[in-house]
Amino acid sequence: MGRKNYWFLVVILFAVLSIFICTNIPFQLGLDLRGGSQLTLEVQPTDEITKITPNEIEGVKAVLDKRVNGLGVSDSQLQTVGTNQLLLELPGEQDPSGAAKVLGETALLEFRIQRIGTELQLRDLQSQRNSVESIIKLLEENNNSAQLSKEINTNSDINKLFEKYNIKSTQILDLDQFIFLRNKINKKISLLFEPTSLTGQYLTNAGRRQDQNTNNWEVTLSFNSEGGEKFADITKSIAGTSRLLGIVIDGISNSEASVGKQFETAGITGGAATISGNFTVDDARNLEVQLRGGALPLPIDIIQIRTIGPSLGTQNIRLSLFAALTGLFFVGVFMIFIYKLAGFVSVLALSFYSLFTLSIYAILPVTLTLPGIAGFILSIGMAVDANVLIFERLKEELRNGNTLIRSIDASFKNAFSSIIDGHLTTLISCIALFYLGTGFVKGFAATLGIGVLLSLFTALTCTKAILKFLMSYQGLRKVSNFINPSQILPSSINVQQ
Amino acid sequence: MKSKLNVQLYKNRKLIWFISFSFSLISIIGMILCLKSPNIKAPLNLGLDYTGGTQITLERSCSDNCFELNTIDLSQNISSLTNVDKNFDSDNSPNLNRSQIQLLDNSKLVSIRLPFLTASQSESVVTEVSKSFGPFINDNTSVEIIGPSLGKQLLKSSLISLIFAFLGIAIYINFRYDRRYSFLALFALLHDVLIVCGVFSWLGYLYNVEVDSLFAVSLLTIAGYSVNNTVVVFDRIREKSLIENELSFKYQIDNAVGATLTRTLYTSFTTLLPLICILIWGGSTLYWFAFALVIGVIAGSWSSIALAPSLLAITSKKEFD
Repeated sequence: MGRKNYWFLVVILFAVLSIFICTNIPFQLGLDLRGGSQLTLEVQPTDEITKITPNEIEGVKAVLDKRVNGLGVSDSQLQTVGTNQLLLELPGEQDPSGAAKVLGETALLEFRIQRIGTELQLRDLQSQRNSVESIIKLLEENNNSAQLSKEINTNSDINKLFEKYNIKSTQILDLDQFIFLRNKINKKISLLFEPTSLTGQYLTNAGRRQDQNTNNWEVTLSFNSEGGEKFADITKSIAGTSRLLGIVIDGISNSEASVGKQFETAGITGGAATISGNFTVDDARNLEVQLRGGALPLPIDIIQIRTIGPSLGTQNIRLSLFAALTGLFFVGVFMIFIYKLAGFVSVLALSFYSLFTLSIYAILPVTLTLPGIAGFILSIGMAVDANVLIFERLKEELRNGNTLIRSIDASFKNAFSSIIDGHLTTLISCIALFYLGTGFVKGFAATLGIGVLLSLFTALTCTKAILKFLMSYQGLRKVSNFINPSQILPSSINVQQ
Repeated sequence: MKSKLNVQLYKNRKLIWFISFSFSLISIIGMILCLKSPNIKAPLNLGLDYTGGTQITLERSCSDNCFELNTIDLSQNISSLTNVDKNFDSDNSPNLNRSQIQLLDNSKLVSIRLPFLTASQSESVVTEVSKSFGPFINDNTSVEIIGPSLGKQLLKSSLISLIFAFLGIAIYINFRYDRRYSFLALFALLHDVLIVCGVFSWLGYLYNVEVDSLFAVSLLTIAGYSVNNTVVVFDRIREKSLIENELSFKYQIDNAVGATLTRTLYTSFTTLLPLICILIWGGSTLYWFAFALVIGVIAGSWSSIALAPSLLAITSKKEFD
């Protein structure tokens, strides 16, 4: 064993290490391979904040993080993309509309007091709301039955109400439409109230509970000391008058309450309040999650949603891996057929290459997506090309009548510059893609780029080490193992200067 | 197999140029047709990624023989949601009459293309379609919604990364070789990219094939591949011109191309093998991606074997004999 065979040992050692890594560290799979939902959220500028700075993005992200945790999806990820976007990944989530609803709302909680002289208007609106609410309750109890909505539909008062609120409808009114109507009424109610300085930012906690008597869900609020003082002041100012206290969330009034005369001197103290709108369990839970996370400092828009079914993901993996492996098998057969022993060496080197690359993907980790797998396959193409370049040179040297060992050395030396150029130009494309591309384009650039870097290493080291190792065996050290002896040029003296 | 294939680029240069010119012209015509077409209005038929919108793909749970679905019924079914479903009853709800429906994979897959919807709106559509045309395999449903602003942003970032990659490659070759090589490698690259774009503009014009972000990725891969091939040939030309200095430059080029010809063909072939396997077995997601690469690999081999060296031969200052 010569000195050069140390390299072979190093390669073997790396290979063993790679197998260990690949079997022990799980690969990170992208959503297109394991199924789930991906949402891109864009932070919208407002009149006050026209430019979105990293600070504002961080603020939005902190709030969203809390809300995402409240959703209870395991492994969810929220990351900033570019200057004004956030990317949320919810593995396994098939129904992103629930998440979209919880995340997309600003959840600005306000306490407002009734404007003077609006008693009559408010009473009108409240009675409208009451009748709508009783219908909602009736529909809910009967599971939104079509029979019942047909009956309600013939009621002219209700139809008038819908007309009044500009809700066009060509079909039978159902539960959803009554809820929509209720929101419209509540929005109108909130306009009868004027804002105060008490908002959701003074909350320390939010919770939910079910009222013992009515079975309705309520959301409970706890204020910090400053908030508690403000709440006491506000309640004091309207205690005993006909003015009501309105709890408004995102411009929709949730409940209006009167403050008793007994609070005239100190207001309601203790720093706690309850919102008793007409909540279902889910409504209460969503509101609780939103209030706990706080209001979004800036509104957000959901600009992209991708949902991929879980079995579609596994199918994608299966198909692309099968196709790729078959392709590579053919490549291996081709290489052995053309380059004989050298072809066999390159198949070995390429197997090592694949192992190294996969283990790097696992360590870093690189999230594997479908385009990422395509990038990996293309990087194998680059690695094959490096081997072809070397072996073509080898054949050339042998044909010119050079000895085997000298030919091997010369072939690596001569192919070197082509290999470097080819790999570096591909690497330049990868860097451009990685820094300027978005989403899965990045994944492709990452896998291809890592592959190209490693391929440079394996082509120049692995292939050579294996080849040299095999050449230390007398039986293999024959020119006929590489080319057909008849191809050797008889007169090959004046080719090289 | 002879050690040096007898390549005569200089002699056949006009034929080579004619072939490349014809393909480029056909490509440009395809792009102009797309640009003029009222449905496309761009040199390429831009897909969901770039225009924004909603794409819902449903897999029907029927075995091999799925009965034909009537796509007109389906799109009417979707339009009927307007003003009826709670998610589509406001005045500014998206226009559901503009749905495009395609049946793929022996009508096993139903692909529905709609304007930009919200998550709950898309769910309404899925529920409605499942009611009338189901059953579908829920686990295989995929929904993709891209906002119009994101689409524009994706298009912009794709173009910027293409330009930067081309520039980077040109600067690298300029540094490693000289300006002439760099210019020709970039020329060959643009030729290959143009032909791939041309093929896709024709496909878009005739068969409504769309280009997505993956297409931009494939263009960049093709760019890298094309330059790689060209550089290998150029590298050998430079080497030959140092060794065989007594020969004229055009012979040196012919010899260099001859010496690298087997390598270029083998490499192209080994790259094509996995790509063709992806085309056949890889499923629909990667189909057009692999297709673009196949075209690119073929065009890239041609331009690096024939086009770039034949152009190098005439730009040489050396005398021809």
